[in-house]
Amino acid sequence: MVIKVNSQNNLEALFKPKSIAVIGASRHPGKIGYTLLKNIIEYGYKGKIYPINPKADEIMGLKAYKSILDVPDEVDMAIIVVPEQLVLKVAEECGKKGVKVLVVITSGFSEVGNVEAERKLVEIARKYGMRVLGPNIFGIAYTPAKLNATFGPNEVLEGPIAFISQSGALGIALMGWTVMEEIGVSAIVSMGNMADIDVVDVSKYLSEDPNTKVITIYLEGLKPGSGRRFVEEMKKVTLKKPVIVIKAGRSKRGAMAAASHTGSLAGSDQLYSAAFKQAGIIRALTTEEMFDWARAFAAQPIPKGENTIIITNGGGVGVLATDAAEEHGVKLLEPSPELKEKLRKTMPWFGSPKNPVDLTGQAVTENYVEALKVAYESEEVDNIILLYCRTAILDPIELARAIIKVHNMYRNKCKPLVAGFVGGKDTFEAIRLLNREGVPAYPSAERAVISLAKMLEYMRYLKKAKKQ
Amino acid sequence: MNVKTIIENAIKEGRRKLLEHEAFEVIRAYGIPAPETGLAKTPEEAAELADKIGYPVVLKIVSPDISHKSDVGGVILNVNSKEEAVEAFNKIQENVKTKAPGARIVGILVQKMAPKGLEVIIGGLRDNIFGPVVMFGIGGIFVEVLRDVSFRIAPLSEEDAIEMMKEIKASKLLEGYRGQPPVDKKSLAKIILGVARLLEANPEIESIDLNPVMAYPDKAIVVDARVILRLK
Repeated sequence: MVIKVNSQNNLEALFKPKSIAVIGASRHPGKIGYTLLKNIIEYGYKGKIYPINPKADEIMGLKAYKSILDVPDEVDMAIIVVPEQLVLKVAEECGKKGVKVLVVITSGFSEVGNVEAERKLVEIARKYGMRVLGPNIFGIAYTPAKLNATFGPNEVLEGPIAFISQSGALGIALMGWTVMEEIGVSAIVSMGNMADIDVVDVSKYLSEDPNTKVITIYLEGLKPGSGRRFVEEMKKVTLKKPVIVIKAGRSKRGAMAAASHTGSLAGSDQLYSAAFKQAGIIRALTTEEMFDWARAFAAQPIPKGENTIIITNGGGVGVLATDAAEEHGVKLLEPSPELKEKLRKTMPWFGSPKNPVDLTGQAVTENYVEALKVAYESEEVDNIILLYCRTAILDPIELARAIIKVHNMYRNKCKPLVAGFVGGKDTFEAIRLLNREGVPAYPSAERAVISLAKMLEYMRYLKKAKKQ
Repeated sequence: MNVKTIIENAIKEGRRKLLEHEAFEVIRAYGIPAPETGLAKTPEEAAELADKIGYPVVLKIVSPDISHKSDVGGVILNVNSKEEAVEAFNKIQENVKTKAPGARIVGILVQKMAPKGLEVIIGGLRDNIFGPVVMFGIGGIFVEVLRDVSFRIAPLSEEDAIEMMKEIKASKLLEGYRGQPPVDKKSLAKIILGVARLLEANPEIESIDLNPVMAYPDKAIVVDARVILRLK
């Protein structure tokens, strides 16, 4: 038996397959083999699609084949949706056909103790030089290639955030959530049992992907003995792209190594935290945090320095933001007399040019625009946090439009800008508008501050890592 | 004896825990400063060793059957003369005979007593997922109650080790507290790196506790060492 060496390049077929076979494609709505094929077609995949089904001649207007071996052309990717007992047989056929990557949706492998079948699956893949995603997954989507090979929602918004999920159900749920929250994604990858391709492989590929600016990962756990490789490889990934991880299972580990003091103190969660820190990975504790921060990274440049200014129309949110800034290591700059003078001209006479810069509740769009321009133009300012409280005299949508204009004018300054808009329904609409146009905006001052804080953390990590 | 031989002997004898003088020898081989020690079989030997090492010394029972030495009266601190050394030797033997009857006694360790410093704990273990990892924390109540410790995955740099110290909540204690001078972080970092190397080079070791390590403004020294092996 000849064992072919797998190369990283094989992942190209996972994200940009030239042709796809869906083995177990179905004519019956409600079946996974139906939804999957429908998603691929309807999302606009441009390559060849081959439904494989021994009982059908045609599915959704496409010619169906009894076996992948009957397909007249080359097949890059085979998506396997057949029952577990048939997976090894079709995998073998895929190998003979020269398929490059198997996407095994089917469950019933190591996750239920069926380790042997999973081992055989990998063995077959190695024999023919194929890579395997899964088994036990909901699929893969890569929006730049118009590929939605999942049985999740059909609608996926294009954007620069990649999302890798080790959980199936939560992954699908979050797919829908990104649409509702208008979060644009480059890739959504379901990892499942990681029999072959793992989180590190996918992260490495995405770190080189020009369509991805930030990688988010929902991680359940690493396999025994794989922790060191994770740290070493992810170190290289984070030098290229920011990585945000949410790690499930923060509870304490059992008495495994309780023979020593160190053992009783070493919760597995602390080890994951240490590993993330060493690898330059940013850890989020909630999915909301993960996408908050991903949004900031996706839309704004990495900060160049620490000095941050807050511009607000409300003293209250200004103080909340100041507290959050101190707690999360965001350094508020002390404006020079010259900068103060310039800021003073942007505000009503009773405003304050100190930091937070308080434009007062009397502030109108013009005040914000002028203050924001001063902040962009000042050499003292590295980062800008813009806060707004809904007032009777200032319409949030109008303000949002004006901010977007200024933001676009000063893009070449490469200064991160985040916004916190507090208010009701129209304020929420303003937040959506800002996000759509590349200004990360949040419904509270604190979320804006913390998102910037994470960008600063990443900046510091990069500075340190590049020095070494 | 070199590290490999000490470990092999322990495994051969079915001992999961290295005896204290063995543990000291093992850590010393990796550049970790341990106090001067000697193993006495008789009161006279203890007295001679004490004289040679210099006072004050500590006497500790060495037995594969006793893991909490103080609980059985197996530790006597602040021994300041030959006479006291003989007395302490006999007292420990007596204590152990009544409180831990039947325990095998290898000897009594005479150890140079370290002056009071800032007590820290440095540890390491072999994790199922991450392999060798190291731990740092402030000793005593901080470790027991607050679990104020930090971890790193091996291999790590000196900078990583320094960062571990800054990461714990009580890190200000290391910077000097109430007029105390700051402790020597570089020496502590050297111990942390030594523990990592020790675990990497010896797959038989499951975990290491250096508790306490006394930290001073110009150095750090391990006062108590526990090395646990993995038995097949």
